Amino acid sequence: MKTLTRIAFRSIFFVTGGCAALLITASLMAQSAPSGKTGSAPQQATKLTASAIQLERSGITTDSDLVIPEDTRISTYENLIIQLNKTKKFQHVYRSGDHNADTAPDLVIMRLIPETFKPGSQKLREVTTVMGSTSIKVKVQFSSRDGKILLEKEVKGTVRFYGENLRATSDLAKKAAGVVKQTF
Amino acid sequence: MKIRSGQINPGIPRRQQESVRRLPQPAGLLIFAVAVILVATAASALNRPPANPQAPESKPIPNVKCVIGLENVKPNTRGTLSALPNGLEFATGKTKATISTASILDIFTGQESRQDVSGLVGTAAKSAIPYGGGRFVSLFSHQVEVLTVEYADSNGGFHGAIFVLGQGKATAVKDQLVANGAKANPHVQAPQQEQKP
Repeated sequence: MKTLTRIAFRSIFFVTGGCAALLITASLMAQSAPSGKTGSAPQQATKLTASAIQLERSGITTDSDLVIPEDTRISTYENLIIQLNKTKKFQHVYRSGDHNADTAPDLVIMRLIPETFKPGSQKLREVTTVMGSTSIKVKVQFSSRDGKILLEKEVKGTVRFYGENLRATSDLAKKAAGVVKQTF
Repeated sequence: MKIRSGQINPGIPRRQQESVRRLPQPAGLLIFAVAVILVATAASALNRPPANPQAPESKPIPNVKCVIGLENVKPNTRGTLSALPNGLEFATGKTKATISTASILDIFTGQESRQDVSGLVGTAAKSAIPYGGGRFVSLFSHQVEVLTVEYADSNGGFHGAIFVLGQGKATAVKDQLVANGAKANPHVQAPQQEQKP
């Protein structure tokens, strides 16, 4: 009986250990894989340089097939302006349409192109915990003044458990600013 | 006994007597006509709309949350919102921010549901209620209106400001701004379903 118990414990230990090893390996592989599709734009390993950046409203606030509430679009745009200023990577952060950007020497233009949007529900989130998440997925695109695409990356902003729906835009802006920090 | 009042001196000729009798009639007509003209003028003056109908000043709306988008105003600040003839003014205790009517590019209104108990303290309190009582509290919510104003600064830079107001107030502010000359285009209402291009 004792021998049988010992064998059972040993087999359970090996099975558990094997599963843990598999999980760790899988998670490491997932982390090392690229986070999203890159499209036709080149993925640059080297860092870009620019003294000024302009956030274009086209894409996030207009010209999109997705029907996204205007407050979500505007909140994303304004949160990203705040986050871009916080990165302190650029001497100037220009808003869309700013005439001063026309004479900026090395300007990079940033666009957010919405890909998916899930409105979610704050009430559903707080009552069920697992449902009603709000999410917005965009393609962050950096291009030069002449229209040459320098980099594209997908970013997703979500609010899963607590908080208002617009918090997803704040999350998205922070992640997009993270991409800026990595790129410049 | 002589009754003198109401009698006409029989010495005056008959024609003269008639002219004396007729004298009050044109004067009465004249007074009546003047009175009619005065009443008509007064009535038209009272019924006339204000001299400048496009510049009415609405009542300030207190306890409005500015979510984001105003210069020198921190996100999620509460204050008083007023639709003035020259633009939209948001005032807190110390600061004032104004969006001029001419700079407004578009105005949007939308409806949202907000939790009755929310925020960091509210969420912590809900989490502390045993046996899932916090979830029951989360069922209670109220409707709010969201006012989104897109505007341009002096350099042409695009801005957007988001305000959260009580039910029905955002539409009133929008109507007021449009009456004052602000631009607002017709919009499509966003559906409550997941969207994919």
